[in-house]
Amino acid sequence: MSQQPTTTELSLNLDEPVDQRPPLLLGDNSFRGITEAVCRPVEWVPPRGWYIFFGVSLALLGVLVLSTAYLFYMGTGIWGLNNPVGWGWAIVNFVFWVGIGHAGTLISAILFLFRQRWRTSINRFAEAMTIFAVMCALLFPTIHVGRVWVIYWALPYPNQMGIWPNFRSPLLWDVFAVSIYGSVSLLFWYMGLLPDLATLRDRAKSQLRRVIYGIFALGWRGSHRHWQHYERAYLILAAISTPLVLSVHSIVSFDFAVSQLPGWHTTIFPPYFVAGAIFSGFAMVVTLMTIARTVFGLEHIVTRRHFENMAKVMLLTGSIVGYAYAMEFFIAWYSGNPFERFVFLNRAFGPYAWAYWIMVTCNVIVPQTFWFKRLRRSLLWLFIASILVNIGMWFERFVITVTSLHRDFLPSSWDYYSPTFWDICALVGSFGLFFTMFSLFVRFLPQVAMAEVKAIVPAAHVHHATLHPAAPHAGPGAPAAPGAAPAGSLATPASLPQEA
Amino acid sequence: MSHAATPTLSQDQLRLPRSAVWRSLPWAAAAVGLLALVVHWLLGRGAGAARQAHFSYLVAMLYWLSIALGALFFVIVQFATKAGWSVVVRRLAEHAMITLPLLGLLFVPIVGGMHELFHWSHPEAMQHDALLASKAPYLNVPFFSARALLYFVTWTALAWLFYRRSVRQDLDGAPQATERLQRLSGPAIILFALTVTFAAFDWLMSLDPHWYSTMFGVYYFAGCVVAIFAFLALVGLLLRRARVLADVITVEHYHDLGKLLFGFTVFWTYIAFSQFMLIWYGNLPEETIWYARRLIGSWGQVTLVLALGHFVVPFFYLMTRATKRRGATLLPAALWLLTVHYLDLYWLVMPILHPEGARPCLLDLTAFLGVGGCFVALFGRQLRRHALVPMRDPRLAESLAFENY
Repeated sequence: MSQQPTTTELSLNLDEPVDQRPPLLLGDNSFRGITEAVCRPVEWVPPRGWYIFFGVSLALLGVLVLSTAYLFYMGTGIWGLNNPVGWGWAIVNFVFWVGIGHAGTLISAILFLFRQRWRTSINRFAEAMTIFAVMCALLFPTIHVGRVWVIYWALPYPNQMGIWPNFRSPLLWDVFAVSIYGSVSLLFWYMGLLPDLATLRDRAKSQLRRVIYGIFALGWRGSHRHWQHYERAYLILAAISTPLVLSVHSIVSFDFAVSQLPGWHTTIFPPYFVAGAIFSGFAMVVTLMTIARTVFGLEHIVTRRHFENMAKVMLLTGSIVGYAYAMEFFIAWYSGNPFERFVFLNRAFGPYAWAYWIMVTCNVIVPQTFWFKRLRRSLLWLFIASILVNIGMWFERFVITVTSLHRDFLPSSWDYYSPTFWDICALVGSFGLFFTMFSLFVRFLPQVAMAEVKAIVPAAHVHHATLHPAAPHAGPGAPAAPGAAPAGSLATPASLPQEA
Repeated sequence: MSHAATPTLSQDQLRLPRSAVWRSLPWAAAAVGLLALVVHWLLGRGAGAARQAHFSYLVAMLYWLSIALGALFFVIVQFATKAGWSVVVRRLAEHAMITLPLLGLLFVPIVGGMHELFHWSHPEAMQHDALLASKAPYLNVPFFSARALLYFVTWTALAWLFYRRSVRQDLDGAPQATERLQRLSGPAIILFALTVTFAAFDWLMSLDPHWYSTMFGVYYFAGCVVAIFAFLALVGLLLRRARVLADVITVEHYHDLGKLLFGFTVFWTYIAFSQFMLIWYGNLPEETIWYARRLIGSWGQVTLVLALGHFVVPFFYLMTRATKRRGATLLPAALWLLTVHYLDLYWLVMPILHPEGARPCLLDLTAFLGVGGCFVALFGRQLRRHALVPMRDPRLAESLAFENY
């Protein structure tokens, strides 16, 4: 790889001096270099690995299509659902995928508002992932209704029968919450793509490419006026998306928590679900990014520092999830309610204890390894840990859904739930859908928000030329906050003796 | 950017000016506080006033404690996130958090008066109530007292660790202090989260020992964070009126404090609403009783005022850029939120004592002034003794030059 960062650069990037901000990008971070690096995967003939990946994904997508067709033909009886366990893998998968879809908007909205500039290297990627994950998520409740041909009844529209959906049902709130989230995320993502699509249009060698990218670039010319509107729209969309990040998974948690079922009905569910969603979303970004950056030669843009930051987010959210597990357990005991107590003991020591302990190991113990700098920086461990985390998060939803249901208030109706072949096909197939979309994304769209990354390189700094006449790129500390202007611009009288 | 140019502050910007009213703050506050405590004690000795005195004192205690805990959280988070913008306001939060040991001392009457406050602390109540009896391993006097001690020891230790290193850096300017605190900040957050949660369970939730909510710790925490941002904005702006730190904490910092105040007001609402919504919708009597109590009599109006005052009003008021960037508009918002935050705690505690409706009385005021006076006195004393900003923090220059964009 031509952009392979040098050792000194790497240590500069990973150093954490307190008196200056480390550079976020490595290697060739001139504007041109960034454009070339990001556009190459879109403009080259992809390596064989891409075709293999795409082929496998397509095959899995085929599994999804076939198993869903069979489901429509036969009905949900082909799944492992039984009498106490009316919600099985389909709901587990739904919550799992919605959760995955949380990293993108968190990165593009909340980290934007918190001025976390490292996000620019990964936000496009994560936002794309969000949209594909929301697509997978929406699939499951849709096919779970059984009579999928009347799914539009879930939408409130005036009709001659005078029938409306039940507005008091959280399942209907889900329809609104997830579809609004999907639309806003798509809009946010697309708007962020405009300048980059225009770049691809301008670089296009064939007429066809120019026309197609040109249509989607909506006539972007990069004038000052365009940029001014763009920045304002970006801020407003970030402000709109921020509550959405919290609301979607809160509403999903309401699906469970508004009921009276022990194990579902607990007040910590909304923030706990949100933290878990961000946790799994970041894990998925890490899993895919470790591969993509190597395959597409983006190591100098998505550096180990980015991974370290993502590991820290996972440590935080994983610990919040652990906190929630602990609170559930403590309050189940503290409530003095025998049913509450039973459900939690049953989770940890009942027939599904194996699932519970997989969940605890993967979600609580694995992220604790990120306390150690060496493990945060080991890409191999991050890759393994991120997969473990997503396994754990899938099991979390499994534990919540199934263990609370399978032993209800009436012991005579207790049953053990196990999935069938078709349940497995649906889950595996949804990964097919996700990865198919994903491989198309990396093939046809820029994986890194070029325009945004360029705004954080030293050369974009207003005072760059005066501060670093000798070092055009990668001056340590230069990509720090743009507010870090030189003292001359201060209101404060500045007599400048050096300290420390 | 320190390698490019390090703006430093002149000595008179770093210290309270000799003439400032603020220099007499510790004495004035201590006098008010002690006087109020004595009056509170005297009034509380009256027949039938003991319970009221204790409940009022608990509200006041939890109120000032929430500011101190919020301050501790703020300081820890600045190190955990390696924040640059906030250095100039951090010292104010540090002074607020170092009141924690004092608050621990002031907490003693609550442990002493446990029987006035906590129904479960009466052995006969436990005897006749199987549900309470099953909670006895947690809700009992020795364990409760030991936990209270543990919380305050933990908070004091954390506050002291961060405080000492930060003020020592003023003298030696060692960047290692910052590195050290950055490393400490992660574990500190864990300790903070656990202690605050259980403190909220012990001192607020167990007032109604049958009732439970897994979210409750987060609720109190959300209030603490709102309180500290309001407190920082308020103190900063008041100092600015006295021409102290006027060009150090700039409009940009107030803008950020305002944004965070806005954000955490919404966060508080999110937590409060989620808790209410799930309990209301689930409609289990053992849970709804808590809200039912707060809708009876004049408590219903208090609930409404809280919903409007702690969310609707600040939400629309703080939404615009202009209100956050102008002292004349941000100061009322900070004052307002500190007021409704008191109302929030009052609303959490008092329906236990006065189920029939809100009964504000003089004891509420004396307790508030008593604990508050001590808090402000110590805060003011520290303000006099140390530099007003962490003057040799490696990120001071970044903070001074900070601009929103």
